[in-house]
Amino acid sequence: MSEGTRRRLRLLLRDGAIVAGLIVFLVWTLAPIVWMLLTSVLPHRALISRPPDVDPALFTWKNIQGVMEDRSALVDSFVNSAIVAVATTSLALALGSLAAYAIARLSVPGGNKLMLMVLATQMFPGIVLIIPMFIVLSRARLIDTHIGLVVVYLSFVLPVVMWILKGFFESIPAEIERAAMVDGASTMQTYRLVVLPMSLPPLFAAGVFAFIESWNEFFYAVILTRTNVKTVPIRISEFSGQYRTSFGEMIAAAMIASIPVIVMAIIFRKYILLGFSEGAVKG
Amino acid sequence: MTEFRSVPTLADRRRRMGYLLVTPAMLVLVLVVLVPILRSIVYSFQRVRPEGGRFQANWVWFDNYRFMGSDPAVRRALRNTVFFTVGEVVLVIGIALGVALLLDHPFGRFGAFRIILLIPWAIAPVANAVLWEWILNGSYGVLNAVLLRLGLISHYKIWLGDANLALRMVLLADVWKSVPFIALLLLAGLQNIPRYLYRAAKLDGANAWQRFRFVTLPSLRTPLTLAIILQTIWAIKVFDLIYVLTKGGPGDRTLMANFLAYRVTFNYLDFGYGAALANAIFLAMLILSIIYIKVLKPGAPRSRQAP
Repeated sequence: MSEGTRRRLRLLLRDGAIVAGLIVFLVWTLAPIVWMLLTSVLPHRALISRPPDVDPALFTWKNIQGVMEDRSALVDSFVNSAIVAVATTSLALALGSLAAYAIARLSVPGGNKLMLMVLATQMFPGIVLIIPMFIVLSRARLIDTHIGLVVVYLSFVLPVVMWILKGFFESIPAEIERAAMVDGASTMQTYRLVVLPMSLPPLFAAGVFAFIESWNEFFYAVILTRTNVKTVPIRISEFSGQYRTSFGEMIAAAMIASIPVIVMAIIFRKYILLGFSEGAVKG
Repeated sequence: MTEFRSVPTLADRRRRMGYLLVTPAMLVLVLVVLVPILRSIVYSFQRVRPEGGRFQANWVWFDNYRFMGSDPAVRRALRNTVFFTVGEVVLVIGIALGVALLLDHPFGRFGAFRIILLIPWAIAPVANAVLWEWILNGSYGVLNAVLLRLGLISHYKIWLGDANLALRMVLLADVWKSVPFIALLLLAGLQNIPRYLYRAAKLDGANAWQRFRFVTLPSLRTPLTLAIILQTIWAIKVFDLIYVLTKGGPGDRTLMANFLAYRVTFNYLDFGYGAALANAIFLAMLILSIIYIKVLKPGAPRSRQAP
């Protein structure tokens, strides 16, 4: 074999290994998702045969319809989750953007130390917070209410929002604000008319993070909900471990609950990836 | 004599405004984070039980912490948590690094790959748990069907009911869900490595392994440290999967620290002991993070752009 052929062979082998690696990656990542999609459109009979009878002729909407129509089920919990997630997100954005702006721009003494303390709170496992919060909320009769959930969710959403926004506010050139002030704008006017309009992308990114985190939250919801404000994750978990589980409906419910978040993650992936590289790697 | 009235300067006014804007957020964080943390330290030295609809608290000082030493559930939870955390960190970081390297290669730079990677990350943790409960089902699960077809097992296995397999299966489900985030984190780190470093290493005659070992890995030190710390914390905190898949069973073989603290507090209603366990979990995470930082010494990350 000549030197050239050996070299070409080696390159071919290397390319082959990378393609093989990508295929393994695709199968590993996609197989559970594909099975989720298939399960949600297969009838119960096909799912409980061994092996499962994956025949496109059997595809049906019955699982999905069943989950959506069932009076008790998913629809109520969608409303609860939407209320809690939207309220948490708006409060976190309102409070967090003002605080982040103040720390990034208005030279609050000790602002950076404050931000580190805010970050440090994220080290605490939820169980540390929720034991006293449960006692306080049950004294205030706020167990099983939207307010109770929103209050607790702010504990992990607000710090993240503050960190994302502070990083962005620091990157705005100070000249822009100075120009606004020379034109006679007050601090609040500068913030509202100059800084906020520039900050829509990071506000969106922070909002998406906040929404996804509150929509998916399960641990606090298990502890703080009883019957009135069951959120989507609680409903999903109730499908499992039922005496007679309809696997198709269980998986259809899990799929439907995940769709809003997956769609948001894909639409806003640029911001999420930006958040990763800016916030996580450099911060 | 004329009195000087001090006129607030612009800087004064901005600082005053700053205080005003910071206060609401800080007030909320004090109320929902700081106060509860302090309360739970106090509770851990008390016996706190709901009696007749009211919470009664009595000081027992170190009794809760002393009881941990003799509680067999704590020992089981500790063993399971250590196994799970080590397995999770090693597998997730290893697989995620592989995925990140693949997606950084010219063949892997299709946007579609990154979108695919986002899906397991975005799926609600509970939806993920339910999905794996179905995949691992002992009677109709697709894992059984596939492995049987491939001849790797001779009969259907009850994955989650088997004392020796259950924890590994929970680990599998959690690794699948956790790889994407860490892979994206490491991918962002890879893309920050200046290409000229590779060209320089090539000129110096470094082969592919040497380039990985002496250029890629050192440049990834900060994101890798972050990934290891985050993944450790998440592994110790795992709850949703245990709650849906096994509730700690069979026979406490998948009982983990966080689930134990939950069970003690909200099933056995022993709030004081639960708080003590919760604080012990926090201490363990804190100590591990400090050790990681001391050992791995993350530096200031290199940036592609000029500062």
